Parts: sequence; C-alpha cells; structure tokens
Amino acid sequence: MTLSVDVIKRGGQRQSEQFMRDKLHTSIVATCLSVRVPTGQAESIAHSVCEAVIAWLQQHPEVTSQDIRIVATKHLRIQHPEAAYLYEQNRITI
Amino acid sequence: MAKKFTFDYDLIVIGSGPGGSVAATMAAKDGKRVAIIESSVFGGESPNYSDIPTKALLHAANLFDEARHGDRFGLRSSTLGYNYPSLRAWKELAVTRTGTGGNRKYYENQGIDTFIGLAHFLSPNEISVNRRHLSASNFLIATGATWTIPEIPGLDKIKYLTPRTILETLRPPKSLMIIGGGDTGIEIAQLMAIFGTKVYIAEQASHLLPHHDSEIGELMQRVLSEQKGVTAVTHSRVLSVEKDGLQKRVTISRGGTEKSIKVDEVLVAAGRSPMVDLGLENAGVKFTANGIAVNDHLQTNVKHIYAAGGVLGRNSHTHSALMESQVAASNIFDKTKVTPNYKAMTEIIFTNPGIATVGLSEYDCLKHDLPINKAIAPLNIIARSNTSDFRDGFVKIITDKNGIILGASVVAPHAAEIIHELSLAIKHDMTAYQVAETPHAFLSWSEAVRVAAAKLS
Repeated sequence: MTLSVDVIKRGGQRQSEQFMRDKLHTSIVATCLSVRVPTGQAESIAHSVCEAVIAWLQQHPEVTSQDIRIVATKHLRIQHPEAAYLYEQNRITI
Repeated sequence: MAKKFTFDYDLIVIGSGPGGSVAATMAAKDGKRVAIIESSVFGGESPNYSDIPTKALLHAANLFDEARHGDRFGLRSSTLGYNYPSLRAWKELAVTRTGTGGNRKYYENQGIDTFIGLAHFLSPNEISVNRRHLSASNFLIATGATWTIPEIPGLDKIKYLTPRTILETLRPPKSLMIIGGGDTGIEIAQLMAIFGTKVYIAEQASHLLPHHDSEIGELMQRVLSEQKGVTAVTHSRVLSVEKDGLQKRVTISRGGTEKSIKVDEVLVAAGRSPMVDLGLENAGVKFTANGIAVNDHLQTNVKHIYAAGGVLGRNSHTHSALMESQVAASNIFDKTKVTPNYKAMTEIIFTNPGIATVGLSEYDCLKHDLPINKAIAPLNIIARSNTSDFRDGFVKIITDKNGIILGASVVAPHAAEIIHELSLAIKHDMTAYQVAETPHAFLSWSEAVRVAAAKLS
C-alpha cells in the first residue's frame, strides 16, 4: 500500500515534499549509531519506529516535519531513551 | 499603521459536539465567518454513540425489568420477552429524532461552512483538513475525548468492546467482563444484566463508582449483585486477557491471589482520554496527555485559541461542555471575559435507582479541610417507598457550619429530576433550613430531600 503524505517543512518556509520512509529510517539509524547502538539493533529500532510513524500517518494526509519528529521521538523513547533525546534535540537530523 | 492580517474565517471550531456546536452557532448568529470541522459524525459522541443511544436502551430495559418484577403487585408478566433487533431499531430512532445526530445541514443552514476530516494545525492560525488549508483569527478546540485502552497484556490481541461498540452488537453477550466500574461501566452493567447477560465488573478501587462518595458505590454494588446477579470484583487489577476457544479468559489479581474468569466478551470502560492529536505543537498550544491547559476564560496559552469540553481533561458532561462552549464563544468575541461556573453542575448516572450528585462530595470537603455537617435520609422512611415497594436509595446533603448547602447526592428513582432542586439551592447559597421549610408534596420521592434537609436545620 502506498502512503501519500505531504510533509510541510520549516513552517512552510521550504518546499513541501512527500513523506519518505527511507529518509526517516536513515535518520533514526544514524541517531542510534551516534549513541553506540549496534547496527543490527539500530536497524530494528528504526524499522519499528517507522512502522509506528506510518501507522499514525494513515490518518494524517498532511503534516509538518515537526510532527514527524515528535511522533518518531515518542516511539523511539520507548526503545532507546538516549537516542530519543538526541533525535529530539537535533533539528537537522531529518 | 500595524499590518492587518486577513484570514478565511473569524472562527474555526474543531469538533461539532456539545463543546463546539454552541460556540459555532452563537458566532454565526453574530455575523461572524465560521467553519466547523468534524472528524466523524456531526453532533459528536453524545447524540450518536453515548448519551442518547445508551439512555434510549436503558429506558426500554428498565420498563422490561419493572414489568418482569410486577408479580408482587398482582401483574402477570411470565410471558414477557424482548426482541433485541427491535430494541436496536428503537435506539436508532431515538438518535435520529434528537436532530443533533448527523446534523451537518443544521450548520449549513446557518451559514456555517462544514468540513469532514481530521483537523491538523500547521501553524498558530492555519489548519489542514484533508490537505485543504483553512486559516482563522480564532479557534475553538472541542475535539472531546475517547475511551482509554489500558495497557493490559493480551488486550490488543483480542476483539474487545467499548461503550460505543457494545451498543452495535447483534445480541447481548452471554457473559461480559467490564473493566472499570465508573459511571458508564455501571450503566452498561445494569443494561446488559437486565437482558440476561452474566456481568462481571473489575474495579481497582475499593468500591464501584470511585469518584463518588462510598455510600453510593456500596449501595449500587449491593443492588446490582442482589437484583441483577452482577459480580463486582473490587480492589482488583486485570493482569492479562487472552483468547480461550470462542471465549476470553481474564486474569485478575485481588489481595495477592490470581483468579481467572472466562467470559464471552470484554468491555473496556476505564476512563476517557482527551483527543489532543491535532498538531497542537505546531500552534504552540500547551497540552499534556491529560488535556489542554486553559485559564479561567477557557483560553489556551496561545491567546486566539480556546478549548472546551472533554478535551480539557476534566470530568466533562454534555451539559458542562455546552456551558463551556457558550463561555468560550463569548470570551472569543467580547471584551468582557466570563468564567464558567461549575458550582451547581450535576452528575447523573441513569441506573435504577438513578444516581445524581451536585456540588462537593464528602471526600472533596475532607480534601479541602472544610468543616461540614451531613445528613442522610434513607428512601424507606418516606411514604412513596411504601406505595412503590422500592427501598434502595437515599438523599444525602452536606452543609457548611452555617447550614449553607455545599453538596448533595440522590440515589432514588427519578434522581435526575430530584437533584435539580438541590442544584438550585447550591447555586443560590441556600441553607438546608430554607429547603426543609419548602413544602414537598406527599408521596413524591422529593420528600426525602425535605427529610434530609430537616435533619440539618
């Protein structure tokens, strides 16, 4: 099933784009690796966080990049609080 | 000269339930450009899925129950029965007849633009509904609340019911476990028990209806147990739920021991959570999972965004949400700000006997260290109890040391009607003596109010 979600970036200051799962996945993996999570576990965490974000996006056809960061952080916090903190604070991760 | 911003609307109301509808109507009548957004069915939860359908079914159930137990008055009712599909049709008729359920046309006729979809804030003055951007100079958030699903292992793996979905079942289940012994849990317990379901209630607190004084919960527990065969398991925690053949096995911990109960269906009625997933972060509105924070004027920390109803996370009812909506509309457009007055707000549970409370409970008074006097008048001391052969219930009145009524509870048939006398007394700071000296008709249930008030005079 294809998910068509428009992501409004930086409060509309930058051009909107389609939600890309791979982009989110890569950013979560990068964050996890930054806090010395083993690669396999980082991939696994990123997979489950992406699934949770996609589940949330099913009801939201248009969101901001901040929304995605908030929802991803919420689910990442359950799996790895330290990575979640880093992800939440680093505005350029996504 | 300061730049004047232009917006699509003067007010966008998010949610068409009681918290939103009044404000939208008031603003439109005032000539404002208004839009209302609904994510589900216009009218919101109360007329479509909770208050109206539940009370319509409870009315029919109570009639059936009264008639079934009419043999003590010389009535023959052994052949009495019910047809559940017809009962559901009656419920649907009641919903349609209210006029508030699915009432999109009502708003459109008043010049209010209507949208169906989830609203999501993109910025403090802009929302997105199905990718359509709408802007407004003011917002009222009235998205209400939804049933909380507790984190019980195994619950996500079974098909469970909520107070909304149980009303849509094709027939009453043979056995039912209700998780949560609050207002709604009790109403549904009685409803289903009357139609022959074996009902269990699991409640963490020491008595049912934990938000009310203990006498009420204890009385209802006895009435439900003795008259309807309901098993209330208080002081207990649901540990897990799992599928067991066609049934469900619920494991409960009580006093350190575990117990399993096999039931056909599980109903989750463990409180409600405000619906705050609408991009409030993008608007900068302060909120928690427990609701949106507002000041006394129902204004959020973002001055052009207001909130009313269940989304505030308070103990909300349709009548309190209606009042808040009115207050919010007034505060949005008027310079003189008003504050909602909850002092004489009633809470009603439509069981039999009915339960109605107003003002402070005894627990509230203890919490605030208020010196009080209280009196209880059991129903069985008044004449109506004899002629109706009904003895379970009481009227309890709480006053301060000067005799001014602070709170009251009524557990009696027609409690929802009786309570308003006490509600008026509380609103106008009347004393128990003033209530007691007011004539109360002989053979009315309200005589119990006079008796309780007289004890405090």
